[in-house]
Amino acid sequence: MHSFRLVHPTSLDEAVALAVDPAAGATKYLAGGQDLLTEMKEHLATPDRVVNLKSVPGLAEFDSSGGELRIGALTTLARIEHDATVRAHWTALAEAAESIASPQIRSCATVGGNLCQRPRCPYYRMEEARCLKKGGTECFAYGGHNKYNAILGGGPSYIVHPSDLAPALVALNAEIVLRSKSGERRMPLEQFYVLPADGDVTQETVLTTGEVVTELRLPAAEKGSRSTYVKFKERESFDFALAAVAASLTFDGSTVRSARICLGGVAPIPWRAARAEQLLVGRTLDSDLVRQAAAAALHGAEPLSQNAYKIPLTQTLVERALMALAR
Amino acid sequence: MALEPLHPSASAAQDAPKKKKIKVTKVVNGIDTEVEIEVDDVAAVAWPERSKLRVLNQPIPRVDGPVKVSGVARFTHDVRAPGMVWARLLVSPLPRAKVANLDVEAARKVKGVVHVLVVKDGESGYLGDPVAAVAAETLEAAEDGLRALAARFEPLPWVVDHDSAVKDGAPAVTRGGNVSKPELDGDADEAREAVLSSPTHVEATYSEPIQHHACLETHGVVVDYRGGSEATVYCSTQYAQGFAADAAKELGLPANAVTGIVEHMGGGFGSKFGLDLQGLVACRISKAIGRPVHLMLGRREEFLMAGNRSGGIQTLQIGCDAEGRITGIVADSYKHGGVGRGSLATFPYCYTAATHHRSVRSVRMHLDANRAMRAPGHPQASFAMESVLDELAYAGNLDLVEIRKRNVPHPAWGRQLDRAALEIGWADHPYKTRPGEPTGDECIGIGFGISTWGGGGSADCEVEVRLERDGSVSTSCGIQDLGTGTRTYMAAITAEVLGLEVRDVKAVLGDSRLGRGVASGGSVTTASLAPAVMDAATKARNALAKHLAGVLGLDAEGFRFLPEGVVHERAKTPTVMTWKKACGTLPAEGLRAQGEWVASLASRGAHCTQAARVAVDPGTGRVRVLHMVCVQEVGLPLNRMALKSQIQGAMITALGYALTEGRVLDPVLGLQLNANFEDYKMPHALEIPRMTTIIDDDDLSSGVIGVGEPPVIPGAGAIANAVHNACGARVRELPITPDKVLAALGKVV
Repeated sequence: MHSFRLVHPTSLDEAVALAVDPAAGATKYLAGGQDLLTEMKEHLATPDRVVNLKSVPGLAEFDSSGGELRIGALTTLARIEHDATVRAHWTALAEAAESIASPQIRSCATVGGNLCQRPRCPYYRMEEARCLKKGGTECFAYGGHNKYNAILGGGPSYIVHPSDLAPALVALNAEIVLRSKSGERRMPLEQFYVLPADGDVTQETVLTTGEVVTELRLPAAEKGSRSTYVKFKERESFDFALAAVAASLTFDGSTVRSARICLGGVAPIPWRAARAEQLLVGRTLDSDLVRQAAAAALHGAEPLSQNAYKIPLTQTLVERALMALAR
Repeated sequence: MALEPLHPSASAAQDAPKKKKIKVTKVVNGIDTEVEIEVDDVAAVAWPERSKLRVLNQPIPRVDGPVKVSGVARFTHDVRAPGMVWARLLVSPLPRAKVANLDVEAARKVKGVVHVLVVKDGESGYLGDPVAAVAAETLEAAEDGLRALAARFEPLPWVVDHDSAVKDGAPAVTRGGNVSKPELDGDADEAREAVLSSPTHVEATYSEPIQHHACLETHGVVVDYRGGSEATVYCSTQYAQGFAADAAKELGLPANAVTGIVEHMGGGFGSKFGLDLQGLVACRISKAIGRPVHLMLGRREEFLMAGNRSGGIQTLQIGCDAEGRITGIVADSYKHGGVGRGSLATFPYCYTAATHHRSVRSVRMHLDANRAMRAPGHPQASFAMESVLDELAYAGNLDLVEIRKRNVPHPAWGRQLDRAALEIGWADHPYKTRPGEPTGDECIGIGFGISTWGGGGSADCEVEVRLERDGSVSTSCGIQDLGTGTRTYMAAITAEVLGLEVRDVKAVLGDSRLGRGVASGGSVTTASLAPAVMDAATKARNALAKHLAGVLGLDAEGFRFLPEGVVHERAKTPTVMTWKKACGTLPAEGLRAQGEWVASLASRGAHCTQAARVAVDPGTGRVRVLHMVCVQEVGLPLNRMALKSQIQGAMITALGYALTEGRVLDPVLGLQLNANFEDYKMPHALEIPRMTTIIDDDDLSSGVIGVGEPPVIPGAGAIANAVHNACGARVRELPITPDKVLAALGKVV
């Protein structure tokens, strides 16, 4: 493994200053370590310095007392999964958290780390395959093994974003808070992610060097709102999504007042299904409408050679998520 | 003392036991081969009647369970020797390449690196072919040393998939070309005519991926050689004594100077015989530097170079008459064993056909050679055979159980099919002659499969039972316990014979200096070892009786060794002598008895039938196995708990083969894309179905039979058939993943 220095800042200011110190070489932030340590062992990440965010006080705060939900970036997935308030008001988030990996990993993995994790595409994960994501010139999945890759928003890279929390948080209209030496910025989580065609193809987010995710903020759950996260894994134990759907609907009686639907496992970013959302607003859910919405959610899907199955699969998941909320 | 006659007298010759010829299983690298040998036709020792067994034929918790679950058990990986170095292997990341650069000097300069060994200079022959090794003071330094080699692999043309390998002008894997001459059997014209003229006939092509052994403990060795005249080698192996002998040769030491140790083993499944490349490398490094060497494969090397179950393609044509009797089968098969030959059992697998024609070819590729894997060649044949049999039954409107019963050559399968059908709920199942419809989110289907295996023994074990003066008892053999419960039955058999409890006997194994132990492959361990343990324990008991007879002035035949102590039937005042007291009369050196294999204590030939009930979700293609049933002949059951555990492990392996496992390669880049436990998807806790494991007690074989192999065979075919039975999705290519189910249902456009 590439040698590195491990530093333990005691304040956020110190932490964000460290990464932009040119003398220190490449720096990576360490939270739960569930992805970073793997990347380092596989020589995908070779930082000269690792900054341990766990030594910074205040990053794991979790507060739902004021109606809105504030989640410190170092909150563990286990904390989210087991919180009764989250489960009651932001159900999709609890369901997404419990669908991830194994209990052991969820006890270490953090919310910030989950949102910033790197792709699982096997080509990306193998040092030998110098793919587009790693600064190469080709997305090997495009003409190769692409069963697990993108059907929406792909090109020139066809990764799917592996986070389960991200679609749930996007559906719940979360904001992400970032902090760097030049200050704090907040944005809808949706804007945190970048399509490969729209930015640096080696990155998945707008996070810049020396910038740290500090917090997620979810608006208070409105009256009549219900949400769910439906994830489909090839193997039920310990697997990433082949496809997933986060849906958050607010009802007036049986009429849908507002809808946010976000797909996971099918695109390089959490994929808002805007057409499906529009179809639902002002209407009552029935099986016909749900079927139309599911078809609309996959609008524009362009499968690769091995992943056309994701279209009917994701449609089924959208239908089931919506029907579950209709009850 | 009576004098031994110098020459055997005529009468002594007449007294010599008669000989009889019996068939036994001989195993070479895990492959079961039947040979005929001559043995004494006497029954000097016999198993007690089943109903009278006190310790055996009961569920016995494994004696090494506590040390395993508490982490105390020492596996090869855990061995540390004074002055030991850690070695790691560099393997070819490409299927075929010229090794253009190995910067040995740079590797030597890495801090902590002790030795660099170039294993292969020139051309790598398969993906994962070991090229170099680095030994260092720490594991990390060894890995840094490998990177410092800065190996450059210049790609040479390769083939890693069937279609490319069989093309004209394909890069040749062997001088003889990539496709072997077919092994042929049966009259092709006759069989084809029989099939095509049958009232019902079908044709289909099935394929199976390469499956990995996926041993939790990777292959590897610790060679404790510090120069001088002796060495100890620790190895994760299925043949401790064979390994020690191989290592001695490589170290340049006499065989009796090298001790092989395998205290505990984390799985072999047929892949761990012989010195192997990593063993050879470790010996060479140890010899060169005079220090112990620890060399265990990393998980990726384990996937790439440690063998596998060969994949294959089978095109089957089969026909039956109106009653469902198979009139003929034509099987055209290809085996994918990498640079090896691959393995495949013959068609019609288990069933009888009036005529048959088989053609089997090996297709070579630049991948590591297949090795024996739990029932080599059988699961492949079983999946194809059971699938095509169901397709035939549906075409002929025949009941899926009835068509099987009509074509099995042995009555055991008939009764097992009835039992499996009962347990899985066949009588109330609506889809007996046609599959269900793909509606709703849970379609229930049932499937069946059958198998068989030899599992007999051979005269390759020598056992010693020792009674000490303080009453302690040990049973030893230089064999290895693969995790299957060998230690436990060694203790249990001895306890049964001596009137003791399992905990009163210490089983000693995994040390090559002990008596001869058979190589554990082909399910031969139990049928080879258990008779020798029985023989040794019986001889120890008889010798103790003889000794006590002398001490107490009674006849030896009257002694009974019971849990309450030693009693004599004809003693004037019946007294119970405690075991300890009885042993206390022994001389200081205690008592030792040697046992050998007794043919009459072993049987062979174990039939197996399995059924699976699955739920298929037609909206997602998810297959959930809800229930598996196994009815398994085991001969005389020694330990009912270990048997069930072994059978369940086999069913889980079959479940993974059916639904999730298989090597995935990129044929252009030449990379294996799932050489790790994340992407190579074995079943975990949530995938495990309800399992009904039935020891077939209608099997009254007098001897013991090994049953490691048969229960791993029929599960995949049963599950594939259940998927189709549930909703009409016939997936002919393993593993049956959701994308294939959705495609089979016509949902993927």
